[in-house]
Amino acid sequence: MPLPTLRLIKRRGQQNNLIMTNQTTNNTFDAIVVGSGISGGWAAKELTEGELKTLVLERGRNVEHITDYITAWKNPWEFKNRFHLSNTDLEERPIQSSHCNATDKHFYVKDSEHPYIQEKPFKWIRGYQVGGRSLTWGRQSYRFSDLDFEANNKDGYGVDWPIRYDELKKWYDYVEDYVGISGSLESLSHLPDGIFLPPIPMNAIEKHLKESVSKHYSDRVIINGRVANLTEPKKGRGPCMYRNLCSRGCPFSGYFSSNSSTLLDAYNTGNLTLRENSVVKEVIYDELTKKAVGVKIIDAVTKEEINYYAKIIFLNASAIATAAILLNSVSQSFPDGLGNSSLQVGHNLMDHVVNEGTYGIYDGLLDKYYEGRSPGTIYVPRFQNLNPETKSTGFVRGYGIQGKGERENWESKSTTGIGVSLKAQIETPGKWKISLGGRGEVLPNYENKIYLDHQNKDQWGLPLVKVHFEYGPNELAMMEHMTKASEDILRKSGFENVGSYRNSPPPGSAVHEMGTARMGNDPKTSVLNKYNQMHDVKNVFITDGSFMTSSGCQNPSLTYMAVTARASQFAIKMFKSNQL
Amino acid sequence: MDRRKAIGGILGLTGISIASVVGVKYFYGNLKSKRGQLQNYSNLISELVDAIIPATETPGAKEALVHEYIINYMEECSSMKEYNNFLNGLNNLQENCVNTYHHNFENCSTVQKNQIIENLDNNYDSTSLFSKINNKLQGRSFFDILKSLTIEGYCTSEPGATMHLEYQPIPGKYNAITNLKVNQKAWATK
Repeated sequence: MPLPTLRLIKRRGQQNNLIMTNQTTNNTFDAIVVGSGISGGWAAKELTEGELKTLVLERGRNVEHITDYITAWKNPWEFKNRFHLSNTDLEERPIQSSHCNATDKHFYVKDSEHPYIQEKPFKWIRGYQVGGRSLTWGRQSYRFSDLDFEANNKDGYGVDWPIRYDELKKWYDYVEDYVGISGSLESLSHLPDGIFLPPIPMNAIEKHLKESVSKHYSDRVIINGRVANLTEPKKGRGPCMYRNLCSRGCPFSGYFSSNSSTLLDAYNTGNLTLRENSVVKEVIYDELTKKAVGVKIIDAVTKEEINYYAKIIFLNASAIATAAILLNSVSQSFPDGLGNSSLQVGHNLMDHVVNEGTYGIYDGLLDKYYEGRSPGTIYVPRFQNLNPETKSTGFVRGYGIQGKGERENWESKSTTGIGVSLKAQIETPGKWKISLGGRGEVLPNYENKIYLDHQNKDQWGLPLVKVHFEYGPNELAMMEHMTKASEDILRKSGFENVGSYRNSPPPGSAVHEMGTARMGNDPKTSVLNKYNQMHDVKNVFITDGSFMTSSGCQNPSLTYMAVTARASQFAIKMFKSNQL
Repeated sequence: MDRRKAIGGILGLTGISIASVVGVKYFYGNLKSKRGQLQNYSNLISELVDAIIPATETPGAKEALVHEYIINYMEECSSMKEYNNFLNGLNNLQENCVNTYHHNFENCSTVQKNQIIENLDNNYDSTSLFSKINNKLQGRSFFDILKSLTIEGYCTSEPGATMHLEYQPIPGKYNAITNLKVNQKAWATK
């Protein structure tokens, strides 16, 4: 077994500051980045490498890479209640509890401390800490294509994207090369290939499914999932040890997170200042210069208000939180929130529509097994509405299906009896099982929105976020279709007991919320221009999920990263030529 | 996910009449339990789990301290309904044990213990539609809870995972397709 590569364990700073070493006397920096998750980490890396003195503000606590992955080495028996959340946990995290367990709950907020209002059920899954949700993300990484960038323009939902694949391609290359994405080259025009590490191979049942699908269908294929897990070492990180315990934080740096990568590289430039416990209250706007001049924060612990100043502001707080900050940044010029002359801020909230999940049992290949635990998946790329031949009558756009095959063990194997016979049944590998789950595109819809409730405040006196979100007929039709298609794929491939779970998860469950400050060509109908600058306030850049003009059906983090790198490089150029 | 069944399979054990079962159910169903009582049943639970998963060439559930896990889980994680079902089930079992064998479960012979557990096992059903609906309304039955927590607790215990199953904390590599070896054990974790 290769030795663990423990890369640069940073020492913890004094009390609640990680590294305030670059603190200036007048709280002034070249750039401020709000949020340290997957896109904030990229902004921090690019801006600091571009020699901008950069302040990263994180509302949660510090999480030091490796040192603070407190459960990473624990064996199952070292958890008192195994992986179950206690009733106390459920009271503290009634919403987050569907997405975490005893091994990783500390990377999910306590809802009791961070309330929001759901007008209709909408799960807002959050990780308030340095690294944000990049610690717990699903790591699935797929490029968008022009099928996605042109979709709004073609079918008329939402506004047109101001960029096309051509403009983003080199930035996808750039971030993939840094992040380390394992995947296979497939030459699918609607799911472009990238700079890949070797794919995580398919096991026997996954291979069987792939072969069967290619035999039975002309319209769909099964490929290796593309995941940010390192199948080879990369820049001193990894490789993956195949423990499949990613959401606890990886002591081998086997997957990409802000903590393991971008923030460390930003730190190494000497240009990074990271301040934890910094709840951003508003962006400060100057009426004279017509620019943002800084942000006002509330220290989460002391509740003290502090202003920080910079020429460039990047908002990377995540789609809902970024919109909330803008809406709370009211000035004479912007009574409806900063840069909100279009009145689109907070609107067009999207997630991905997720179905119930489908499973089937396969009675065969019983002489095959596997060694090691794959953190990856298999993937059925979108196969609907690609061209006239694949046009669906039920819905526009499309969905992809993620899946995983494994042999049942004690967790799901059905057993009978007690005693010696029961023990023997538990001991041996069960039948092969495959689970499939669809991820579908959600259309931009003005009515799906977040806004502020000024009557109800959080513990820092900030108005609570209200979420209003409902699936439309297109999403519902797609959800039904993905379940039927998943069942069909398994039945045609010889699976038995094919079924789907009855309850579909509420919106928000994909944890892909986006669209609340969309990009567009027209300042009247969009918030950001093609470089992610606010149309109205050119030195404010937004590169978290807020900018998404449409949702595609691909897991979006890779696109956030590519767009962030691109916008950061643009901002550096503008900064250096004094145009901001 | 939710499974369960009405009253424990205790009836099978003694052949008590339906009427008295209903009576028992009514009584226990209305008994308001408080949490914090299960530590007193530690010996009984340890004997129960060991009857479900006994020591063979690998350790049994008692040695794996599965009873401690079950008590922790029931005290801290279970719903109140299931806590009541479980506590009432323990009392019920003990009562029926005394009625039938004239001493409590811990003092029963191995044969008697197995008989009792087998009776419970034969009389519970977690898969029928009826029991699924019933589970939803009333929580899983005593034996359903006991058996599933015993299996889980054992397979996630150190002796269970490392001796009865195969546990690799750090595989280090992924061989996606291997040939099943003779007497290959299942992986303890996914």
